[in-house]
Amino acid sequence: MTVAGKAPVHGGPETTLSRANDASLDESEAPPRASLWAVGAALARREFTRFIRQPTRVIGSIGQPLIFWVLLGAGLTPSFSAPGMEGMTYLEYFYPGVLMMMILFASVFASITIIEDRDQGFLQGVLVAPVPRLGIVLGKVGGASLVALFQTAILLVAAPFIGLSVSIGGAVLLAITLVLIALGFTGLGFLFAWPMKSTAGFHAMMMVIMMPMWVLSGAFFPITGVPSWLHWIMMINPVTHAMTILRAPFYADPLTLFGQGSYLIALAVVIVWVVGCLSLAAARVSARDKGIVQSAP
Amino acid sequence: MIRIEALTHVYPGGRRQPPRTAVADLTLHIPEGRFTILSGPNGSGKSTLFRILCGLARPSRGRVLVAGRDLLADPAAARARMGVVFQSPAVDKHLSVQENLSIHAALYGLTGAAFRARLDEALGWTDLDGRLGDRVDTLSGGLARQVELAKCLLTRPRLLLLDEPTTGLDPASRRSFLSALTRLRRERGMTVLMTSHIFSEAEDVDSVAIMANGRLLAHDTPQALRARLNTDVLVIDSPEPDTLVERLRADLGVTAIRHGDELRVDEPPGHTDAVALLERVLKDYRPLVRGITVKQPALEDVFIHVTAEARAARSGATPQETAA
Repeated sequence: MTVAGKAPVHGGPETTLSRANDASLDESEAPPRASLWAVGAALARREFTRFIRQPTRVIGSIGQPLIFWVLLGAGLTPSFSAPGMEGMTYLEYFYPGVLMMMILFASVFASITIIEDRDQGFLQGVLVAPVPRLGIVLGKVGGASLVALFQTAILLVAAPFIGLSVSIGGAVLLAITLVLIALGFTGLGFLFAWPMKSTAGFHAMMMVIMMPMWVLSGAFFPITGVPSWLHWIMMINPVTHAMTILRAPFYADPLTLFGQGSYLIALAVVIVWVVGCLSLAAARVSARDKGIVQSAP
Repeated sequence: MIRIEALTHVYPGGRRQPPRTAVADLTLHIPEGRFTILSGPNGSGKSTLFRILCGLARPSRGRVLVAGRDLLADPAAARARMGVVFQSPAVDKHLSVQENLSIHAALYGLTGAAFRARLDEALGWTDLDGRLGDRVDTLSGGLARQVELAKCLLTRPRLLLLDEPTTGLDPASRRSFLSALTRLRRERGMTVLMTSHIFSEAEDVDSVAIMANGRLLAHDTPQALRARLNTDVLVIDSPEPDTLVERLRADLGVTAIRHGDELRVDEPPGHTDAVALLERVLKDYRPLVRGITVKQPALEDVFIHVTAEARAARSGATPQETAA
């Protein structure tokens, strides 16, 4: 013990109690550990509880895409005539695009709460818990998926009124697809939001990256007939493929779809997107600030 | 319980900033079942050390063992045995007390009956009875802090780490928070390590560690630390502190420490005692004295003394000024 004092030092803590043997402590009783899924479920439930407790957020997140859909659909239907889609109203064409928009917004909100959680201190309590880091990611993206499912479920009620019918199998496939896409978007948002200190920065990121991904996915206008440079951009956009698998269950039953090469390719692209984003996000959460190692002092 | 060995943490510099050493070759051992307060001026490296101890940062060099487990190699094993209370609240203000506790318990693998069994036990240490259904943002500051304590206690940690937990609490809430910690130490044998600026909190603990500039300056019992200043302390409030420091040194050979606006003499030369010195100062330098006191050394005085000495040792000059 280095001491910086002149007075005689009495028996300090080192000398009196250093006999306590650290290694023998509670060896018998290893504390229980939460599983990956338990952690994800607990954190996802929190996300959903918070969402439901804010009625304005519920109304806004459902109302905004709905208004978008009705107004744009009604306004653009007279001038909409895409090759190969004769007889389809824009209201119908745009419908899966609006579902996609709801998922996008749910994911964006969820990603923003990452920044708030860090800012308000909740996150540090989670980070010091002995939990698998992927569990923290799953909690956030799982919560966002629940919110997205809840919102889109309401819009799905409108499907029969515009002439879209979905079988039971199709509805199940649709729900799985919605969750998959929500995971992809939230995983992406998570990657951007994790290192950010302010929500303002995230809004910029959303307008520059996430919004264009939605616009250029075929949600808003069909991919057929666009200039070839745009076609390429749209083809490398994972959301385009997400749009393909989201639109498909409205027009074919699941068994037919799983026999189609184009559907399976789109599905594979989306799965790669989701797995990629989630594993990158988990790696990001695991990284701890590291002090730099200098050469000899 | 905590064994820190030759710990160094250097923050990477930016484009215009050189790398900054926050913790320098620090060795500290905190035995099981002690209540220790870690103290130091702002920027002394306390917070960095705290972040390393709770596994949020990886040091540049050195080793940390918590309950015999290597914190850096296997953070989850060490984390499972510790409870952490941060300076900024780590609760979700939009959720109720019970919801917060249940989320926290789930993160530590406690759900259902196991959670309910621990709930009453943890709440017994707090005044949260009957407030379980209330949203955390409707609680007073003192009660909100107790939610954090209850959260930690749910998991029956062997070690509690607290980062300035009493900041912003009124004296009554602060006392009840501290008495809960003291009881936990006594009745549960829990090891408690808490950072604090408030020296009145440290008078009754088992040991106090003082840090400055990333180094450990002292680690001892409060009694032993107080005994380092074996005379009373003379505190002078002067309108011209710098002039008075010079005059005292030149005329009397007395070294005064400048602490904020006041001057302190905690080691009167030779056999003069503080009262004799007070009379001398009043007689000779009356115009330079606005107020003057002789007091028994408290921990805060030891802290000022120790940090002033460390500054002097670093700059190679006589001690003159401490961070107020």
